[in-house]
Amino acid sequence: MTTPILAVENLQISVRKKPGLLILRGVSFTVHAGETLAIVGESGCGKSMTSLAIMGLLPDAVERTAGSVRFKGRELPITDNRAMRKVRAVEIGMVFQEPMAALDPLYPVGKQVLEVIEEHEQLPREMAWKRVIDLLTKVDLPNPEALAWSYPHKLSGGQLQRVVIAMALACNPDVLIADEPTTALDVTVQAQIMRLLKRLQRDTGVAIVLITHNLGLVAHTADRVMVMYAGNKAEEAPTRDLFLSPRHPYSRGLLDATPNPERAAAGGGVLREIPGTVPSIADPMPGCRFAPRCPNASDLCRARVPEPTFEGAHGYACFHPVARETLT
Amino acid sequence: MKPIRRRFPWAFLGKRLVYGALAMLAIAIINFFLLKLAPGDAAEALAGQAGTADPEYIAQLRAQFGLDQPLLSQLWAFLTRLATLDLGYSHVFNERVSTLILSRLPATLMLMGAAILIAVIGGIVFGVTAARYANRWPDRAISFVALLLYGTPPYWIGLMMILIFAVWLGWTPTSGMENVLAFHTGWDRVVDIAHHLILPALAQSIFYLAIYIRLVRAGMLEVLSLDFIRVARAKGISERRLAYRHALRNAVLPLVTVVGTNIGNFLGGAVLTETVFSWPGVGRLMFDAMFQRDLNLLLSILVLSSLFVIVANLIVDLLYAIINPTVELK
Ligand SMILES: Nc1ncnc2c1ncn2[C@@H]1O[C@H](COP(=O)(O)OP(=O)(O)O)[C@@H](O)[C@H]1O
Ligand SMILES: [Mg+2]
Repeated sequence: MTTPILAVENLQISVRKKPGLLILRGVSFTVHAGETLAIVGESGCGKSMTSLAIMGLLPDAVERTAGSVRFKGRELPITDNRAMRKVRAVEIGMVFQEPMAALDPLYPVGKQVLEVIEEHEQLPREMAWKRVIDLLTKVDLPNPEALAWSYPHKLSGGQLQRVVIAMALACNPDVLIADEPTTALDVTVQAQIMRLLKRLQRDTGVAIVLITHNLGLVAHTADRVMVMYAGNKAEEAPTRDLFLSPRHPYSRGLLDATPNPERAAAGGGVLREIPGTVPSIADPMPGCRFAPRCPNASDLCRARVPEPTFEGAHGYACFHPVARETLT
Repeated sequence: MKPIRRRFPWAFLGKRLVYGALAMLAIAIINFFLLKLAPGDAAEALAGQAGTADPEYIAQLRAQFGLDQPLLSQLWAFLTRLATLDLGYSHVFNERVSTLILSRLPATLMLMGAAILIAVIGGIVFGVTAARYANRWPDRAISFVALLLYGTPPYWIGLMMILIFAVWLGWTPTSGMENVLAFHTGWDRVVDIAHHLILPALAQSIFYLAIYIRLVRAGMLEVLSLDFIRVARAKGISERRLAYRHALRNAVLPLVTVVGTNIGNFLGGAVLTETVFSWPGVGRLMFDAMFQRDLNLLLSILVLSSLFVIVANLIVDLLYAIINPTVELK
C-alpha cells in the first residue's frame, strides 16, 4: 500500500492546563492522494478541532497532548505557528463554514486571493494576477475581471464560498480540508458548491477531507466515511459499506435520522432521532461514551472503552455492533 | 489590473455643506445672546483700563462701537458682516479681527496638529503592541500607564511636565513658541519651535493618547478574534502582516470616528494649554478677548472655530469612507 498523503495518528487534544478534559481522545485516520474522506458526526464531536489541529490552528485554549499528523510521511510541526505557515495553503488548503465572515471586508476579493500567491510564490505581479483571474474563472464566478475588484459585502454567500475555495486552491495544495463548507448556504447553492468541489478534484487531483454533520451530503461525494462521536472515531468504512451496513449503533442512528430516498422506496423510510445528546467533555465516563444513548448498551459498554475492530477496510469501535444486514 | 474607481459623493458633500451652514448660523445666534447675557462690555473694559468710570466717555465709546443699538440690529449687523466675510475691527486690540485671528491661527493649528498626531500615532503603536502581547507584560504595562494617564487631569499633567522637564531637568523651555530674541532663521527656527512645541503638544495629547490606546487595543483584540483572521492564518500569512494589514486597518475605523468627534475637544483644550504654556495662539486670544469684553472678537473666534470643526468633521467622514469601502456616503 502506498504512503497516505495525510495520516493522523492517535491525535489527542485537551483543554490547556486541564489534561483531564479531552476534546479528541486519540483519533487516527488516513487520507490517500486524490480521494475524498468524509468526517461526520453531530456538532460538538470534535470534527472542527481535528481539522484545525492538522492546520496548526488550534485555539489558544486547547493543546495537543498526544499523537501526530504526518504529511507524505513527514511529521508536521503543528504546534509551531511559524513553521506551519509553509504548510498552509501550499500543502493543505482549508475552507471554512462561514463564507460571509471569511474575508476581510476592507480588501477586494481578488486581492485576498492574490495575497496567498504572493505569500508563497515569487511571481511577477501580472502573472500572479492572471492566476487570480484564472482561479476565479475555475470556480465558476461570473465576469471574474470585474468581480476580482468587488468588496466582500457585494457578493452572495455562495459567491464568497467560491472565492474562499479559489483561495484555498491557489497554491495547488495536495489536500483540501472543507469544514462544513455548505452548512451556512441555501440548499440549492449547497449542491452547486459540492459539484464544484468534485469537479475541481477531478481537474487537480486534490484529496478532500469533507467535514459535515449531514450524512446526506456524503453519499454521492465521499469515497470513505469516518464517523466521529464525542472525540472518538466510532466507525470508518467505504461510503457504500457504511450506508448499506453500518456496524456502530451511532452510525446506524445517524443513518436512521437522515432522509434517504432509497430507504424510503424500500419501505424503511421512517426518520428516527437518536435520543439524548452528546456528553460534555467534562463528563467522566469509564466506558463507551455513546453507551447512555445506545440501544445495545450493556454493563461491559459502561465499564470499558471498546477497541476498534477491523473487517477489511471497515472498522468500528463497539462491543455489540449492529448485525450485518442487507437493506431493510 | 485596474481597480474600479468609486464616484466622488458630490450629493453627500452638498448636503453636508448646507447642514454645516445652518449649524453655523445657529451657533452664531445662540452665542451672540449668551455673550450679551454676560455682565460688562468692551466700552466699560476700555474705560476701566483708561482709569475712568466717566459715564459720558463710556456712552461715547458705546456709540462708536455700535453697542448702543438695539440688540436685534446688533445681531443683524454681526450676521451680515459674517456673511460678507468681514469680521470688523477690534477696538481693544486696535487691529482688524481677521488679521488678529489669522496671525494667531498657525500657532494653534500647529499645536492641535501635533497633539492629534501624537495621540493617534502613539495610540496606534501602543494599542497594537498591547493587543499583540495581550495579557502579557507589555500589555499590562501599557494598559496600566494608559489608565493612569486617563485618570489624571490634563492641566495637572501640563504643570507637572513644566516642573519636571522645563524647571528641574531644563530640557525644554517653560513657555512661548520660539526664542524671538535669538532671531533664528530657516532650519534653526524649525528646531527652536519644535523644541517649544513638544511640552504643550504632549500635555494636550496625553488624555486622548490614553483613550486611543485603549480603543485600538480593544479594536485589535476584537478584530483578531474574527473568522477572517483565522482564514487569513490558514493562508499562511505571517502574524505581522495579519496584525498590520488586516486587523489594524479594521480596528482603526472606530478610531477615525472618535478622532473626528474629538477635534472640537482638541480645539477647546487649546485654550487651557495655551494659557498654561503661554502659547501665542487663538486660545490665548480668546481668553484675552473674554477678559477685555471684546465680544465681537470672541464671537468671531467662536464662529470660526465651529466652521473649523464642521469642515474637519466633513474631512474625517470622507476619509472614513476611503478606508472603509462598505460605507456609502449619502
Ligand atoms: N476554545 C475551546 N476551549 C475549550 N473547549 C472547546 C473550545 N472550542 C471547542 N471546544 C470543545 O471542543 C469540542 C469539539 O468541538 P468542535 O471540534 O468544534 O466540534 P464539531 O466541529 O464536531 O461540531 C466541543 O465539545 C467543544 O465544547
Ligand atoms: Mg465544527
